[in-house]
Amino acid sequence: MNKVTFKQRVTAEIPFLLAVPAVLWQILFFYIPLLFIIALSFIYIIDCQKFALTLQAYRELLQPIYSYIIIRSVLLALTVSLLCLVIGFPIAYYIGLKKRSLKNIFLSFLILPFWTNLLVHVYAWFFVLEKNGFFNNILLYLGIIKSPLSILNSLTAVILVMFYCYLPFMILPLVSILEKIDTRLVEASLDLGATHRQTFFKVILPLSFPGLQTGFLLVFVPAFGEFVIPLLLGGDKYMYVGTLISHYFLVTQNTSVGTAFTIGSSFILLCSAFITYIIFKKLISLQR
Amino acid sequence: MNNLYESLSTYYLPIFVATCYLFLYIPIIVLVIFSFNSVAFPYHWVSFSWQWYQELFHSLEIWHAFKNSLIVAFSSVFLSISLGLLFTFYGAQQKLRRLTPLFYGSLLIPEIVIAVSLLSLFTFFSIPLGLITLIVGHTLLGLGYVIPILSARFSELDVSVIEASLDLGATLHQTFFRIIIPLMSPALIASSLLVFIISFDDFLISFFCAGTSAQTLSLYIFAMIRTGVSPTINALSTLLLLLSSVFVLVFCSLKTKIRIF
Repeated sequence: MNKVTFKQRVTAEIPFLLAVPAVLWQILFFYIPLLFIIALSFIYIIDCQKFALTLQAYRELLQPIYSYIIIRSVLLALTVSLLCLVIGFPIAYYIGLKKRSLKNIFLSFLILPFWTNLLVHVYAWFFVLEKNGFFNNILLYLGIIKSPLSILNSLTAVILVMFYCYLPFMILPLVSILEKIDTRLVEASLDLGATHRQTFFKVILPLSFPGLQTGFLLVFVPAFGEFVIPLLLGGDKYMYVGTLISHYFLVTQNTSVGTAFTIGSSFILLCSAFITYIIFKKLISLQR
Repeated sequence: MNNLYESLSTYYLPIFVATCYLFLYIPIIVLVIFSFNSVAFPYHWVSFSWQWYQELFHSLEIWHAFKNSLIVAFSSVFLSISLGLLFTFYGAQQKLRRLTPLFYGSLLIPEIVIAVSLLSLFTFFSIPLGLITLIVGHTLLGLGYVIPILSARFSELDVSVIEASLDLGATLHQTFFRIIIPLMSPALIASSLLVFIISFDDFLISFFCAGTSAQTLSLYIFAMIRTGVSPTINALSTLLLLLSSVFVLVFCSLKTKIRIF
Protein backbone atom coordinates (compact mmCIF):
# COMPACT_ATOMS: atom_id res chain seq x y z
CA MET A 1 0.00 0.00 0.00
CA ASN A 2 1.32 3.40 -0.92
CA LYS A 3 1.72 5.76 1.96
CA VAL A 4 -0.36 8.88 1.47
CA THR A 5 1.62 11.94 2.43
CA PHE A 6 0.32 14.94 4.29
CA LYS A 7 0.49 17.17 1.24
CA GLN A 8 -1.47 14.73 -0.89
CA ARG A 9 -4.17 14.46 1.76
CA VAL A 10 -4.41 18.22 2.09
CA THR A 11 -4.67 18.55 -1.65
CA ALA A 12 -7.30 15.85 -1.82
CA GLU A 13 -9.46 16.71 1.17
CA ILE A 14 -9.22 20.43 1.82
CA PRO A 15 -11.14 22.74 -0.45
CA PHE A 16 -9.16 25.46 -2.12
CA LEU A 17 -11.84 27.88 -0.98
CA LEU A 18 -10.40 28.19 2.49
CA ALA A 19 -7.31 29.97 1.27
CA VAL A 20 -9.40 32.36 -0.72
CA PRO A 21 -10.37 34.91 1.99
CA ALA A 22 -6.77 36.05 2.56
CA VAL A 23 -6.02 36.24 -1.15
CA LEU A 24 -9.29 38.05 -1.79
CA TRP A 25 -8.59 40.54 0.99
CA GLN A 26 -5.18 41.29 -0.44
CA ILE A 27 -6.50 41.71 -3.98
CA LEU A 28 -9.57 43.69 -2.98
CA PHE A 29 -7.87 46.13 -0.63
CA PHE A 30 -4.37 46.30 -2.03
CA TYR A 31 -4.14 45.50 -5.71
CA ILE A 32 -7.51 46.88 -6.79
CA PRO A 33 -7.02 50.23 -4.99
CA LEU A 34 -3.59 50.51 -6.61
CA LEU A 35 -5.00 49.83 -10.07
CA PHE A 36 -7.82 52.17 -9.21
CA ILE A 37 -5.57 55.15 -8.53
CA ILE A 38 -3.55 54.32 -11.63
CA ALA A 39 -6.80 54.51 -13.61
CA LEU A 40 -7.84 57.73 -11.85
CA SER A 41 -4.58 59.38 -12.80
CA PHE A 42 -5.51 59.16 -16.48
CA ILE A 43 -8.92 60.68 -15.99
CA TYR A 44 -9.00 64.42 -16.07
CA ILE A 45 -12.11 66.03 -14.71
CA ILE A 46 -13.01 69.08 -16.76
CA ASP A 47 -16.09 70.09 -14.80
CA CYS A 48 -18.77 68.33 -12.79
CA GLN A 49 -20.26 66.50 -15.75
CA LYS A 50 -17.46 65.97 -18.19
CA PHE A 51 -14.25 64.11 -17.85
CA ALA A 52 -11.74 62.89 -20.35
CA LEU A 53 -9.18 60.18 -20.65
CA THR A 54 -5.96 62.13 -21.04
CA LEU A 55 -2.39 62.47 -20.00
CA GLN A 56 -3.18 66.00 -18.84
CA ALA A 57 -2.42 65.26 -15.20
CA TYR A 58 0.96 63.83 -16.11
CA ARG A 59 1.67 66.81 -18.35
CA GLU A 60 1.10 69.04 -15.35
CA LEU A 61 3.65 67.00 -13.46
CA LEU A 62 6.33 68.08 -15.93
CA GLN A 63 6.46 71.48 -14.25
CA PRO A 64 9.83 71.85 -12.53
CA ILE A 65 8.32 72.28 -9.06
CA TYR A 66 7.25 68.62 -9.01
CA SER A 67 10.66 67.37 -10.07
CA TYR A 68 12.22 69.50 -7.32
CA ILE A 69 9.98 67.89 -4.75
CA ILE A 70 10.73 64.39 -5.99
CA ILE A 71 14.47 65.06 -6.19
CA ARG A 72 14.39 66.58 -2.71
CA SER A 73 12.66 63.46 -1.36
CA VAL A 74 15.13 61.16 -3.11
CA LEU A 75 18.05 63.15 -1.67
CA LEU A 76 16.51 63.13 1.79
CA ALA A 77 15.88 59.38 1.66
CA LEU A 78 19.39 58.80 0.33
CA THR A 79 20.98 60.92 3.06
CA VAL A 80 19.03 59.16 5.78
CA SER A 81 19.80 55.68 4.38
CA LEU A 82 23.52 56.42 4.02
CA LEU A 83 23.65 57.87 7.55
CA CYS A 84 21.89 54.77 8.89
CA LEU A 85 24.25 52.56 6.91
CA VAL A 86 27.44 54.25 8.13
CA ILE A 87 26.36 54.44 11.76
CA GLY A 88 24.36 51.22 11.75
CA PHE A 89 27.05 48.94 10.38
CA PRO A 90 29.47 49.17 13.32
CA ILE A 91 26.59 48.72 15.77
CA ALA A 92 25.31 45.66 13.89
CA TYR A 93 28.87 44.34 13.73
CA TYR A 94 29.26 44.74 17.46
CA ILE A 95 25.90 43.12 18.26
CA GLY A 96 26.32 40.35 15.72
CA LEU A 97 29.47 39.09 17.40
CA LYS A 98 28.05 39.11 20.94
CA LYS A 99 27.11 35.98 22.82
CA ARG A 100 23.51 34.92 22.55
CA SER A 101 22.16 36.29 25.81
CA LEU A 102 23.90 39.65 25.47
CA LYS A 103 22.85 39.85 21.85
CA ASN A 104 19.21 39.44 22.83
CA ILE A 105 19.46 42.28 25.33
CA PHE A 106 21.01 44.59 22.74
CA LEU A 107 18.42 43.56 20.18
CA SER A 108 15.42 44.04 22.43
CA PHE A 109 16.57 47.59 23.19
CA LEU A 110 16.72 48.13 19.44
CA ILE A 111 13.31 46.60 18.76
CA LEU A 112 11.61 48.67 21.45
CA PRO A 113 11.51 51.85 19.31
CA PHE A 114 10.13 49.78 16.43
CA TRP A 115 7.28 48.64 18.68
CA THR A 116 6.51 52.12 19.98
CA ASN A 117 4.30 54.66 18.34
CA LEU A 118 6.31 56.76 15.90
CA LEU A 119 4.50 59.83 17.19
CA VAL A 120 5.87 59.22 20.67
CA HIS A 121 9.38 59.43 19.25
CA VAL A 122 8.57 62.50 17.21
CA TYR A 123 7.08 64.09 20.29
CA ALA A 124 10.12 63.16 22.38
CA TRP A 125 12.40 64.92 19.90
CA PHE A 126 10.01 67.83 19.68
CA PHE A 127 10.28 68.11 23.44
CA VAL A 128 14.07 67.80 23.52
CA LEU A 129 14.81 70.16 20.64
CA GLU A 130 12.34 72.92 21.56
CA LYS A 131 13.77 76.41 21.84
CA ASN A 132 13.52 76.26 25.63
CA GLY A 133 13.92 72.50 25.64
CA PHE A 134 16.36 70.09 27.17
CA PHE A 135 19.03 70.25 24.46
CA ASN A 136 19.29 74.04 24.44
CA ASN A 137 19.27 74.18 28.24
CA ILE A 138 22.16 71.74 28.43
CA LEU A 139 24.16 73.66 25.83
CA LEU A 140 23.44 76.97 27.59
CA TYR A 141 24.39 75.47 30.94
CA LEU A 142 27.67 74.16 29.55
CA GLY A 143 28.31 77.56 28.02
CA ILE A 144 28.69 76.22 24.49
CA ILE A 145 26.09 78.60 23.12
CA LYS A 146 25.00 82.05 24.27
CA SER A 147 21.43 82.06 23.02
CA PRO A 148 19.09 79.12 22.34
CA LEU A 149 19.33 77.53 18.90
CA SER A 150 16.18 76.98 16.92
CA ILE A 151 16.72 73.48 15.61
CA LEU A 152 13.06 72.62 15.20
CA ASN A 153 11.46 73.33 11.84
CA SER A 154 14.68 72.81 9.94
CA LEU A 155 16.11 70.23 7.62
CA THR A 156 18.56 69.21 10.36
CA ALA A 157 15.70 68.25 12.65
CA VAL A 158 14.01 66.25 9.90
CA ILE A 159 17.18 64.32 9.01
CA LEU A 160 18.11 63.76 12.66
CA VAL A 161 14.73 62.35 13.64
CA MET A 162 14.36 60.27 10.49
CA PHE A 163 17.81 58.82 11.11
CA TYR A 164 16.76 58.08 14.68
CA CYS A 165 13.52 56.39 13.65
CA TYR A 166 14.97 54.29 10.84
CA LEU A 167 18.25 53.18 12.42
CA PRO A 168 16.75 49.90 13.77
CA PHE A 169 15.52 49.00 10.27
CA MET A 170 19.12 49.09 9.07
CA ILE A 171 20.66 47.30 12.04
CA LEU A 172 18.27 44.34 12.37
CA PRO A 173 18.78 42.80 8.90
CA LEU A 174 22.52 43.45 9.18
CA VAL A 175 22.73 41.62 12.50
CA SER A 176 20.94 38.59 11.12
CA ILE A 177 23.40 38.45 8.20
CA LEU A 178 26.51 39.13 10.27
CA GLU A 179 25.73 36.46 12.84
CA LYS A 180 25.43 33.87 10.09
CA ILE A 181 28.93 34.52 8.74
CA ASP A 182 30.95 31.35 8.96
CA THR A 183 33.71 32.16 11.45
CA ARG A 184 35.95 29.61 9.73
CA LEU A 185 36.20 31.94 6.74
CA VAL A 186 37.47 34.70 9.00
CA GLU A 187 39.94 32.33 10.63
CA ALA A 188 41.10 31.05 7.25
CA SER A 189 41.68 34.59 6.05
CA LEU A 190 43.72 35.43 9.13
CA ASP A 191 45.64 32.15 9.02
CA LEU A 192 46.56 32.73 5.40
CA GLY A 193 48.25 35.96 6.38
CA ALA A 194 45.66 38.64 5.77
CA THR A 195 45.71 41.53 8.19
CA HIS A 196 42.66 42.37 10.28
CA ARG A 197 41.90 45.30 8.04
CA GLN A 198 42.15 43.14 4.89
CA THR A 199 39.98 40.46 6.47
CA PHE A 200 37.35 43.05 7.29
CA PHE A 201 37.27 44.64 3.84
CA LYS A 202 37.80 41.50 1.77
CA VAL A 203 35.83 38.92 3.76
CA ILE A 204 33.40 40.32 6.31
CA LEU A 205 32.15 43.37 4.42
CA PRO A 206 31.44 41.54 1.13
CA LEU A 207 29.64 38.78 3.02
CA SER A 208 27.37 41.36 4.62
CA PHE A 209 26.27 42.99 1.36
CA PRO A 210 22.91 41.15 1.28
CA GLY A 211 22.12 42.56 4.73
CA LEU A 212 23.18 46.03 3.64
CA GLN A 213 20.91 45.70 0.65
CA THR A 214 17.86 44.72 2.72
CA GLY A 215 18.59 47.41 5.29
CA PHE A 216 19.08 50.07 2.66
CA LEU A 217 15.74 49.30 1.03
CA LEU A 218 13.95 49.04 4.38
CA VAL A 219 15.13 52.57 5.17
CA PHE A 220 14.97 54.10 1.70
CA VAL A 221 11.39 53.11 0.80
CA PRO A 222 9.62 54.49 3.89
CA ALA A 223 11.97 57.47 4.08
CA PHE A 224 11.00 58.47 0.55
CA GLY A 225 7.31 58.63 1.41
CA GLU A 226 7.79 59.93 4.95
CA PHE A 227 5.00 62.22 5.95
CA VAL A 228 4.76 62.72 9.70
CA ILE A 229 8.32 63.82 10.46
CA PRO A 230 8.65 66.54 7.78
CA LEU A 231 5.17 67.75 8.66
CA LEU A 232 5.71 68.02 12.41
CA LEU A 233 9.41 68.83 12.63
CA GLY A 234 10.20 70.43 9.28
CA GLY A 235 7.89 73.39 9.57
CA ASP A 236 6.14 74.40 6.39
CA LYS A 237 9.32 75.32 4.62
CA TYR A 238 9.81 72.28 2.44
CA MET A 239 7.39 70.00 0.65
CA TYR A 240 8.27 66.36 0.27
CA VAL A 241 6.53 63.63 -1.67
CA GLY A 242 4.56 62.45 1.35
CA THR A 243 3.41 65.90 2.39
CA LEU A 244 2.41 66.84 -1.16
CA ILE A 245 0.39 63.64 -1.63
CA SER A 246 -1.52 64.25 1.57
CA HIS A 247 -2.04 67.87 0.55
CA TYR A 248 -3.68 66.78 -2.70
CA PHE A 249 -5.93 64.21 -1.11
CA LEU A 250 -6.92 65.97 2.08
CA VAL A 251 -6.72 69.69 1.36
CA THR A 252 -7.27 70.44 -2.31
CA GLN A 253 -9.06 67.19 -3.18
CA ASN A 254 -7.46 67.44 -6.61
CA THR A 255 -7.49 63.72 -7.25
CA SER A 256 -6.34 63.63 -10.86
CA VAL A 257 -3.09 65.50 -10.26
CA GLY A 258 -2.81 63.89 -6.81
CA THR A 259 -3.04 60.35 -8.15
CA ALA A 260 -0.76 61.18 -11.08
CA PHE A 261 1.79 62.54 -8.63
CA THR A 262 1.43 59.48 -6.40
CA ILE A 263 1.94 57.15 -9.36
CA GLY A 264 4.80 59.21 -10.77
CA SER A 265 6.68 59.37 -7.50
CA SER A 266 6.09 55.67 -6.79
CA PHE A 267 7.54 54.96 -10.20
CA ILE A 268 10.64 57.02 -9.37
CA LEU A 269 10.87 55.17 -6.06
CA LEU A 270 10.70 51.78 -7.80
CA CYS A 271 13.39 52.90 -10.22
CA SER A 272 15.70 54.09 -7.46
CA ALA A 273 15.08 50.89 -5.49
CA PHE A 274 15.86 48.89 -8.61
CA ILE A 275 19.06 50.85 -9.23
CA THR A 276 20.24 50.20 -5.65
CA TYR A 277 19.37 46.56 -6.10
CA ILE A 278 21.50 46.42 -9.27
CA ILE A 279 24.38 48.24 -7.60
CA PHE A 280 24.39 45.83 -4.68
CA LYS A 281 24.11 42.86 -7.02
CA LYS A 282 27.15 44.12 -8.93
CA LEU A 283 29.01 44.57 -5.68
CA ILE A 284 28.12 41.05 -4.56
CA SER A 285 29.06 39.45 -7.86
CA LEU A 286 32.31 41.43 -8.10
CA GLN A 287 33.49 39.77 -4.93
CA ARG A 288 32.96 36.25 -6.23
CA MET B 1 40.05 34.78 15.24
CA ASN B 2 39.87 36.24 18.72
CA ASN B 3 42.57 38.69 17.77
CA LEU B 4 40.48 40.22 15.08
CA TYR B 5 37.44 40.63 17.25
CA GLU B 6 39.48 41.87 20.14
CA SER B 7 41.47 44.39 18.15
CA LEU B 8 38.38 45.84 16.57
CA SER B 9 36.14 45.71 19.55
CA THR B 10 38.35 46.56 22.50
CA TYR B 11 37.86 50.28 22.90
CA TYR B 12 36.36 52.19 20.04
CA LEU B 13 33.49 49.95 19.11
CA PRO B 14 31.94 49.64 22.59
CA ILE B 15 32.23 53.40 23.12
CA PHE B 16 30.64 54.03 19.74
CA VAL B 17 27.80 51.59 20.38
CA ALA B 18 27.19 53.00 23.85
CA THR B 19 26.99 56.52 22.40
CA CYS B 20 24.49 55.37 19.81
CA TYR B 21 22.30 53.66 22.39
CA LEU B 22 22.44 56.81 24.50
CA PHE B 23 21.37 58.77 21.45
CA LEU B 24 18.45 56.36 20.98
CA TYR B 25 17.31 56.62 24.56
CA ILE B 26 18.05 60.16 25.75
CA PRO B 27 14.92 61.73 24.21
CA ILE B 28 12.77 58.97 25.67
CA ILE B 29 14.32 59.27 29.12
CA VAL B 30 13.90 63.05 29.13
CA LEU B 31 10.30 62.63 28.03
CA VAL B 32 9.53 60.18 30.82
CA ILE B 33 11.22 62.27 33.53
CA PHE B 34 9.35 65.41 32.59
CA SER B 35 6.01 63.62 32.65
CA PHE B 36 6.37 63.70 36.45
CA ASN B 37 7.12 67.41 36.58
CA SER B 38 4.68 69.48 38.60
CA VAL B 39 4.47 72.60 36.45
CA ALA B 40 2.64 73.09 33.21
CA PHE B 41 5.50 74.94 31.62
CA PRO B 42 7.40 71.79 30.96
CA TYR B 43 11.07 72.67 30.56
CA HIS B 44 12.33 73.16 34.07
CA TRP B 45 12.21 70.53 36.69
CA VAL B 46 10.28 71.74 39.74
CA SER B 47 9.01 68.84 41.76
CA PHE B 48 7.55 65.38 41.46
CA SER B 49 3.84 64.97 40.88
CA TRP B 50 1.27 62.60 39.42
CA GLN B 51 -1.03 65.40 38.30
CA TRP B 52 -0.60 64.88 34.55
CA TYR B 53 -1.44 61.23 34.89
CA GLN B 54 -4.54 62.16 36.87
CA GLU B 55 -5.50 64.63 34.19
CA LEU B 56 -4.94 61.95 31.59
CA PHE B 57 -7.25 59.50 33.33
CA HIS B 58 -9.96 62.11 33.69
CA SER B 59 -9.93 63.04 30.03
CA LEU B 60 -12.93 61.48 28.31
CA GLU B 61 -11.49 62.21 24.90
CA ILE B 62 -8.42 60.08 25.58
CA TRP B 63 -10.48 57.18 26.90
CA HIS B 64 -12.62 57.35 23.80
CA ALA B 65 -9.58 57.35 21.50
CA PHE B 66 -8.07 54.50 23.52
CA LYS B 67 -11.26 52.46 23.18
CA ASN B 68 -11.30 53.03 19.41
CA SER B 69 -7.64 52.02 19.11
CA LEU B 70 -8.32 48.85 21.08
CA ILE B 71 -11.33 47.91 18.95
CA VAL B 72 -9.40 48.42 15.74
CA ALA B 73 -6.32 46.59 17.00
CA PHE B 74 -8.19 43.56 18.33
CA SER B 75 -10.31 43.22 15.20
CA SER B 76 -7.28 43.51 12.94
CA VAL B 77 -5.44 40.87 14.95
CA PHE B 78 -8.42 38.54 14.84
CA LEU B 79 -9.01 39.02 11.13
CA SER B 80 -5.43 38.84 9.93
CA ILE B 81 -4.57 35.84 12.12
CA SER B 82 -7.62 33.86 11.02
CA LEU B 83 -7.17 34.72 7.37
CA GLY B 84 -3.46 33.97 7.65
CA LEU B 85 -4.01 30.65 9.40
CA LEU B 86 -6.54 29.46 6.85
CA PHE B 87 -4.24 30.48 4.07
CA THR B 88 -1.24 28.77 5.61
CA PHE B 89 -2.99 25.47 6.36
CA TYR B 90 -4.48 25.11 3.01
CA GLY B 91 -1.33 26.50 1.51
CA ALA B 92 0.18 23.10 2.24
CA GLN B 93 -1.03 22.38 -1.24
CA GLN B 94 1.95 23.03 -3.40
CA LYS B 95 0.22 25.28 -5.87
CA LEU B 96 -0.86 27.72 -3.18
CA ARG B 97 2.71 28.35 -2.09
CA ARG B 98 3.17 30.39 -5.21
CA LEU B 99 0.55 32.84 -3.97
CA THR B 100 2.60 33.85 -0.91
CA PRO B 101 4.62 36.57 -2.74
CA LEU B 102 1.28 38.27 -3.39
CA PHE B 103 1.39 39.42 0.21
CA TYR B 104 4.84 41.01 0.08
CA GLY B 105 3.47 43.84 -2.04
CA SER B 106 2.18 45.79 0.92
CA LEU B 107 5.65 45.81 2.48
CA LEU B 108 7.37 47.10 -0.64
CA ILE B 109 5.20 50.12 -1.24
CA PRO B 110 5.30 53.18 1.04
CA GLU B 111 2.41 53.10 3.46
CA ILE B 112 1.24 56.50 2.31
CA VAL B 113 0.52 55.11 -1.16
CA ILE B 114 -1.53 52.26 0.34
CA ALA B 115 -3.39 54.75 2.52
CA VAL B 116 -4.13 57.10 -0.35
CA SER B 117 -5.29 54.35 -2.70
CA LEU B 118 -7.57 52.86 -0.04
CA LEU B 119 -8.96 56.32 0.61
CA SER B 120 -9.74 56.91 -3.07
CA LEU B 121 -11.41 53.51 -3.32
CA PHE B 122 -13.55 54.20 -0.25
CA THR B 123 -14.54 57.67 -1.39
CA PHE B 124 -15.30 56.52 -4.94
CA PHE B 125 -17.74 53.88 -3.71
CA SER B 126 -18.90 56.33 -1.01
CA ILE B 127 -18.13 53.90 1.78
CA PRO B 128 -18.33 55.95 4.99
CA LEU B 129 -14.94 56.32 6.66
CA GLY B 130 -14.75 55.10 10.20
CA LEU B 131 -13.63 52.23 12.37
CA ILE B 132 -14.56 49.64 9.73
CA THR B 133 -12.37 51.19 7.05
CA LEU B 134 -9.56 51.43 9.60
CA ILE B 135 -9.89 47.75 10.41
CA VAL B 136 -9.77 46.92 6.71
CA GLY B 137 -6.55 48.87 6.26
CA HIS B 138 -4.86 47.55 9.39
CA THR B 139 -5.77 43.95 8.54
CA LEU B 140 -4.11 44.48 5.19
CA LEU B 141 -0.94 45.73 6.91
CA GLY B 142 -1.12 42.78 9.32
CA LEU B 143 -1.44 40.19 6.57
CA GLY B 144 1.84 41.42 5.11
CA TYR B 145 3.56 40.29 8.33
CA VAL B 146 1.38 37.35 9.39
CA ILE B 147 1.50 35.35 6.19
CA PRO B 148 5.31 35.32 5.77
CA ILE B 149 5.79 34.50 9.49
CA LEU B 150 3.17 31.76 9.63
CA SER B 151 4.11 30.11 6.37
CA ALA B 152 7.77 30.14 7.36
CA ARG B 153 6.92 28.45 10.66
CA PHE B 154 4.60 26.02 8.92
CA SER B 155 7.25 24.89 6.47
CA GLU B 156 9.66 24.34 9.37
CA LEU B 157 7.26 21.93 11.11
CA ASP B 158 8.45 18.38 11.44
CA VAL B 159 6.41 16.58 8.79
CA SER B 160 7.03 13.22 10.44
CA VAL B 161 5.02 14.29 13.51
CA ILE B 162 2.12 15.30 11.33
CA GLU B 163 2.28 12.12 9.30
CA ALA B 164 2.54 10.01 12.45
CA SER B 165 -0.69 11.58 13.61
CA LEU B 166 -2.34 10.83 10.27
CA ASP B 167 -1.01 7.27 10.20
CA LEU B 168 -2.37 6.65 13.67
CA GLY B 169 -5.82 7.39 12.37
CA ALA B 170 -6.41 11.04 13.25
CA THR B 171 -8.40 12.91 10.67
CA LEU B 172 -6.94 15.91 8.92
CA HIS B 173 -8.97 18.30 11.07
CA GLN B 174 -7.92 16.59 14.29
CA THR B 175 -4.33 16.84 13.14
CA PHE B 176 -4.74 20.54 12.43
CA PHE B 177 -6.28 21.35 15.77
CA ARG B 178 -4.36 18.94 18.01
CA ILE B 179 -0.93 18.90 16.38
CA ILE B 180 -0.34 21.78 14.04
CA ILE B 181 -1.93 24.64 15.99
CA PRO B 182 -0.13 23.75 19.26
CA LEU B 183 3.16 23.43 17.39
CA MET B 184 2.61 26.80 15.81
CA SER B 185 1.33 28.60 18.90
CA PRO B 186 4.52 30.58 19.64
CA ALA B 187 4.49 31.91 16.08
CA LEU B 188 0.79 32.65 16.39
CA ILE B 189 1.25 34.60 19.63
CA ALA B 190 4.24 36.45 18.25
CA SER B 191 2.48 37.50 15.08
CA SER B 192 -0.65 38.51 17.02
CA LEU B 193 1.47 40.78 19.20
CA LEU B 194 3.12 42.22 16.12
CA VAL B 195 -0.16 42.93 14.34
CA PHE B 196 -1.64 44.39 17.52
CA ILE B 197 1.20 46.84 17.98
CA ILE B 198 1.31 47.71 14.27
CA SER B 199 -2.36 48.55 14.32
CA PHE B 200 -2.23 50.29 17.69
CA ASP B 201 0.70 52.48 16.65
CA ASP B 202 -0.30 53.05 13.07
CA PHE B 203 -0.62 56.65 12.08
CA LEU B 204 -0.69 56.93 8.28
CA ILE B 205 -3.59 54.62 7.44
CA SER B 206 -5.52 55.98 10.42
CA PHE B 207 -4.85 59.55 9.31
CA PHE B 208 -6.27 58.95 5.85
CA CYS B 209 -8.93 56.30 6.40
CA ALA B 210 -10.46 57.22 9.77
CA GLY B 211 -12.57 60.11 8.59
CA THR B 212 -13.66 62.71 11.11
CA SER B 213 -15.65 60.53 13.49
CA ALA B 214 -13.14 57.87 14.54
CA GLN B 215 -10.36 59.27 16.69
CA THR B 216 -7.60 56.82 17.58
CA LEU B 217 -4.82 57.34 20.09
CA SER B 218 -2.26 58.08 17.36
CA LEU B 219 -4.51 60.68 15.79
CA TYR B 220 -5.11 62.20 19.21
CA ILE B 221 -1.37 62.54 19.87
CA PHE B 222 -0.88 64.02 16.41
CA ALA B 223 -3.54 66.66 17.05
CA MET B 224 -1.98 67.45 20.44
CA ILE B 225 1.53 67.83 19.01
CA ARG B 226 0.26 70.26 16.41
CA THR B 227 -1.10 72.49 19.16
CA GLY B 228 2.17 72.39 21.12
CA VAL B 229 3.96 70.72 23.97
CA SER B 230 1.99 69.66 27.02
CA PRO B 231 2.91 67.43 29.97
CA THR B 232 -0.22 65.31 29.45
CA ILE B 233 1.27 64.03 26.19
CA ASN B 234 4.43 63.23 28.11
CA ALA B 235 2.34 61.15 30.52
CA LEU B 236 0.46 59.44 27.69
CA SER B 237 3.71 58.71 25.84
CA THR B 238 5.21 57.23 28.99
CA LEU B 239 2.27 54.84 29.34
CA LEU B 240 2.52 53.85 25.66
CA LEU B 241 6.24 53.20 26.09
CA LEU B 242 5.46 51.00 29.07
CA LEU B 243 2.96 49.04 27.01
CA SER B 244 5.45 48.55 24.18
CA SER B 245 8.12 47.40 26.62
CA VAL B 246 5.78 44.73 27.97
CA PHE B 247 5.04 43.59 24.43
CA VAL B 248 8.73 43.44 23.53
CA LEU B 249 9.47 41.47 26.70
CA VAL B 250 6.77 38.92 25.88
CA PHE B 251 7.85 38.77 22.24
CA CYS B 252 11.49 38.19 23.13
CA SER B 253 10.67 35.56 25.75
CA LEU B 254 8.63 33.49 23.28
CA LYS B 255 11.81 31.96 21.83
CA THR B 256 10.19 31.65 18.43
CA LYS B 257 13.35 32.48 16.53
CA ILE B 258 11.17 34.90 14.63
CA ARG B 259 13.05 37.94 13.58
CA ILE B 260 10.98 40.71 12.21
CA PHE B 261 13.56 41.02 9.47
